[in-house]
Amino acid sequence: MAQVRLDDVVKTYGSVPAVDHVSLTVNDGEFVALVGPSGCGKTTTLNLIAGLLELTSGDIFIGDRLVNDLDPKDRDIAMVFQNYALYPNKTVFHNLAFPLKMRKLSRAAIDTKVREAARVLDITHLLGRRPRELSGGQQQRVALGRALVRDPLVFLMDEPLSNLDAKLRVQMRSELKRFHQDLNATVIYVTHDQLEAVTMADKMAVMRGGALQQYDAPERVFANPVNTFVAGFVGSPAMSLVNAQVLATPGGAALQGSGGWRCDLSPRNARAALAASDGSAILGARHSTIMLHAQDTPGTIPSRVYTVEPTGDITYVHVFLGESFIIVSVTPDVRLRADQPVWIEFDQERLHLFDATTEQALRAD
Amino acid sequence: MKVGRIDGWRVGGWAFLTLLLLFAVLPMAWMLLTSVKTQFAAAQYPPEWWPHHPTLQNYTRLLSPSSDVGQEFLTYMLNSLWVSSATTVIGVIIAVPAAYAFSRFRFPGRETLFYAVLLRNMFPGVVFLIPLFIMMRTLRLVNTEWSLILTYLTFGLPLSIWLLKGFYDNIPPQLEQAARIDGASRFQAFIRVVMPLSSPGIIATAIYSFVQAWNEYIYALTFLTGKEKLTLPVGLQQFFTEYATDWPGLMAAAFIMSVPVVTMFLILQRYFVRALAEGAVKS
Repeated sequence: MAQVRLDDVVKTYGSVPAVDHVSLTVNDGEFVALVGPSGCGKTTTLNLIAGLLELTSGDIFIGDRLVNDLDPKDRDIAMVFQNYALYPNKTVFHNLAFPLKMRKLSRAAIDTKVREAARVLDITHLLGRRPRELSGGQQQRVALGRALVRDPLVFLMDEPLSNLDAKLRVQMRSELKRFHQDLNATVIYVTHDQLEAVTMADKMAVMRGGALQQYDAPERVFANPVNTFVAGFVGSPAMSLVNAQVLATPGGAALQGSGGWRCDLSPRNARAALAASDGSAILGARHSTIMLHAQDTPGTIPSRVYTVEPTGDITYVHVFLGESFIIVSVTPDVRLRADQPVWIEFDQERLHLFDATTEQALRAD
Repeated sequence: MKVGRIDGWRVGGWAFLTLLLLFAVLPMAWMLLTSVKTQFAAAQYPPEWWPHHPTLQNYTRLLSPSSDVGQEFLTYMLNSLWVSSATTVIGVIIAVPAAYAFSRFRFPGRETLFYAVLLRNMFPGVVFLIPLFIMMRTLRLVNTEWSLILTYLTFGLPLSIWLLKGFYDNIPPQLEQAARIDGASRFQAFIRVVMPLSSPGIIATAIYSFVQAWNEYIYALTFLTGKEKLTLPVGLQQFFTEYATDWPGLMAAAFIMSVPVVTMFLILQRYFVRALAEGAVKS
């Protein structure tokens, strides 16, 4: 196992940057998710690490070896592809044996290793079949097995779960996580699904437009998104983001938005908000940090319900905030109906403030 | 399903297919029947529908190297085999990497070059007869097998490349990427993973070029002058004029000529059908 280090990596197609000055370090044994919407450069980054694409500039190290000019075969990596990329004309056994055969292992050694990997993944009974005779979940396991047999320095995974149905995906998610823990493997995992990243990864690298936005542990990214993009991307349902003007008040500051709503800020938030350029900020709040009151209470904002979405164990309420909506979660026993008047209260401790111009998080020092 | 009702379309369809079948098979059957008749029986009127005294004499004569006719015929056959095989082998050697490059790599002029490859197919083959003859004369290739091999290659390659490119387009690039990560070089990935998957396409294009070269007449007639260089189609034509009355001999020669192609088709037909279907429909 080894560390992977990207140092100011750039990949351009013509004049279009696909990966834009990305630097990040994946420590030995870490599970790192590259996450972002499609076209954000996450798969390109993975292919650069794999050596399937050539760098435009920058350096990539695997272990302490500079691999910029190494062929994929010499990088000692294994990769699991979204469509599994199993060799259709080979049996499962020969699919698993291929990487070993290319490394010129003896027939006996190959046989031992393939059977061991097959046992671990519980696919021994499938060794004689061809990929098209397998279900999606089985193909997924074989693809994982082909990566596993080799004991590579790094595992690269390109959306390995996105072709599975929802139930199987949840199951494989926990198996992958377990697999990472048991092997103590270095894994770089590409996904567009922030939930996969949050649930599995030690660290997540959120990308947009080829640029790295934030690289940190999922709970830290969740709690302290650096900009409105990360705030809106991580977490489901997405964080509510509402534009507002910052008003200086004798006690500190308040936010005022179109439609006449007004929210007084705690001293700490007030200091952050007053730093906003042009005096305009974006207020961000996750559904679980907003409270609804049935009566007018000091410090609340009068509003009314737009729609109610019960999901069983939690109910999401869309509430007007001036001319915008925010999403609030309540327990299922709370009965609300459309147009009912409610009063909103933000948890000031977990309120997010962003600069409306730069979209970067505002923090009180 | 309605039981007992006669479906007009279905009956009509069967009738049409039967007619087509007869149209295709009858001449061949007649050829075969005539080839085992004696010369006298073949010339009778009204025709002798079924040979009363079948004989393989025509075949033994054509295939025995000791007789004059046999010697001539076998020379033509060997010439044809050589020209067709060389065309096929060289064609595959060029078409496979060319098609792969068109499918996988983005290089300047790729589109233009690809359509240029197809440009040849927009003209009837005869148009090139005189220009090519002049070129061959300049290259001092007239009356050599190479004049034909080169010509057939220029005709066969565009379709081969086109067909094979369709094949490579349908093979996910991730397979090669997986192979390269698994320890193969780019070339090994091609040989060990891509080639086996495209073998139906390669076989189909090989058959196609072979048959084209095997049957071609006009260019062979124009480029070849020496009797010892002739290919079968032209050679048979000579037979026809020299031995005008020998219908059974001519039919036997025609039958022998069709044997390699038919055998090849029978053995490889499932690849051929698969290739045409897969190359045509993108999934």
